[in-house]
Amino acid sequence: MPSGGNRSRPIEGEAISSRSGTDDLDVASREPIASEPRTLSQRASDPVGTADRLRAEAARQIAEALAGAPSPGAVGDVYVGWVAAREAAACPARYRGDGEHGWGFPGWSPPLAGGACGRAALAHHIAEADRAGRPATLPMPLDAIRVWMRALRALGETGDGRTPPVERSGVGEWVCEVWEAGDSATLAAVAALAGRWLAGFVRVLGWPLPPGLTLLNAPGPAAVSTLRWRPDKASPVTVACGADARLGRVTGAGGFALVVHRVTTGDDDALRDRAAFEAAAAALAIGVAPDSVLTTGGDTGERVTAPVDDDLLALGTERIVAVVAQRVVAVERGFDPTDATPSGACRHCDHLVDCPPGEAWMRVAERWRSGLPVL
Amino acid sequence: MVEGLGDVLARPPQPPPPDGVAALRTALDDGARAARAVGGWSQDEPLRLSKHLVTGLLRCPRRALSDDHGVGGDDVLVGWVVDAAAKLAAVSPRRHVTVDAAVAFLTALGDGTVADHLADLGAAAEGLTSDAAARIDRLTASLAGVDAGWWPRVEDPVRVALAGGAVTVAGRIDVLLGGPPTGRPGVIVEVKGGRWYDGMRADGHLYALLVALRDGEVPASAVTIVSDGTTHVEHMRPALLEHAAERLDEAMRVAARLAAGEPPAMLPGAHCGHCPVRPDCPAGRAWRPPGDVAASAP
Repeated sequence: MPSGGNRSRPIEGEAISSRSGTDDLDVASREPIASEPRTLSQRASDPVGTADRLRAEAARQIAEALAGAPSPGAVGDVYVGWVAAREAAACPARYRGDGEHGWGFPGWSPPLAGGACGRAALAHHIAEADRAGRPATLPMPLDAIRVWMRALRALGETGDGRTPPVERSGVGEWVCEVWEAGDSATLAAVAALAGRWLAGFVRVLGWPLPPGLTLLNAPGPAAVSTLRWRPDKASPVTVACGADARLGRVTGAGGFALVVHRVTTGDDDALRDRAAFEAAAAALAIGVAPDSVLTTGGDTGERVTAPVDDDLLALGTERIVAVVAQRVVAVERGFDPTDATPSGACRHCDHLVDCPPGEAWMRVAERWRSGLPVL
Repeated sequence: MVEGLGDVLARPPQPPPPDGVAALRTALDDGARAARAVGGWSQDEPLRLSKHLVTGLLRCPRRALSDDHGVGGDDVLVGWVVDAAAKLAAVSPRRHVTVDAAVAFLTALGDGTVADHLADLGAAAEGLTSDAAARIDRLTASLAGVDAGWWPRVEDPVRVALAGGAVTVAGRIDVLLGGPPTGRPGVIVEVKGGRWYDGMRADGHLYALLVALRDGEVPASAVTIVSDGTTHVEHMRPALLEHAAERLDEAMRVAARLAAGEPPAMLPGAHCGHCPVRPDCPAGRAWRPPGDVAASAP
């Protein structure tokens, strides 16, 4: 273990990235994880000032982008999470075309709820142990999910004093509705996917979880529910950090890391882009710049740390502002192939038939599959 | 006595030590780098290997490169239902899984193909569903009620990147039990909807290798549960992992030559019987099963 090290250290030559990562972050490590902050000399010198400047700069750029709209209310509410940032950067034309479906949250479903339910169940498991004044035992994924679901159901009942209170959450309310409807297939699918998330998270981070780890975007007393930021009260823009956990306490001196867990790495974007977005979103929401972003992969077992610096935050901000800019363009111009950016996503794109660049790309791509020629 | 999954879980064998895993990774990485030099793949446009592609490249490269995967007939549909039933049995406390429950589970996971197809068939689906029900009964009994301490997880994703990401090998394990951090040895369960044949073993070996590379611990066993009633248990040993690595290495070599433009070899065999490109394949057309009358006729 490195002498001053507290985090996973890149191992030369052990590249294991998912795709399109052209940076040197795409390396795997199985170094132990600890929660000690980097030393002052390694860390951003002024995490609070950095976040303040980032807020001012992001607000300015977002206001500039919104000023291009034909009228103040024309854009509507803009929710900027990682998925929107990835989509807007991957192919602006396709992202604008999604306006036909409203860009909105499509509603919970097992595939969308797996991570949220897994985090909520793990947070509940830890909170129960905290309440009992004992260390949390290694959670058994399916049992942890079922215990959390039963606790959700107990929320509306008169308590017998044994069931710990569980704070409400959107996904929790959806689970209750599914339960009320007697939809056991959906509950089983949720259990399968949430259990997979929980198992992968605990496997990659280890158990006991690293000291100082706090779950994010999860309900209950053992977690932080949401990390969101709006440029101002009247702004239609909401930026949401999608990190799964935080390592270390938030103080004015910084020194905390974000943890982003990816069940599968193949369907996410380049690791540096994801780290940049979540770092910027967290700095905006918390008001303190994180020290680093630890990205883990359930399928690869990788743990990769990206130090947060001005360049990374600038890249993240660029991604955030790009979403707003495309939403402004979309007021008058939805899908338009002039700025289409063909990629593997063209295979599943609803706009392919109207997209000459995409069709041209597909004519080549269809002659190859998985890196091999198709006969 | 035939060993089943229950026997494995009741008395799990000691897994092999992970000593050789690092050497296997190094050897595979060397092989992938050599293949990359010929095949021209990169991190952005990698060779993506799956268990099907590895087997296909070794069995018959011509078939592996075919754009035609064959028509998904009733057998394929039943296989999907059986597969879903096994996974549902692994994650659900229920003891008995029905066809309807398996189809609803698939739909809830976001795959409505089977439900749509059965709806289209209407009453004609009855034979198909009764076939599926019979297979489910044979297959799910051993998966239902697995102790939660084994951490049953379905479609557990595993992925290994080699040669700087220019070659990736990925898969989803039907059911994974144990392994870190459970304190119990890993057990890979592969569910097969058709009939047992010896070639099925290779999938379990490959997944054991990938899990060992991912977790740094070798799974103790690979169990293949087939809907014809067969359960094949294979306790992992270093030689099996080495064999899986050799197959993977050979598949990368074959893939490299194909990517470089070499014409694919046509390797006839029992797989020709259901090969969609057989009509255009002289070797496949000429192939006959051993003992086939037509083959020995003048």
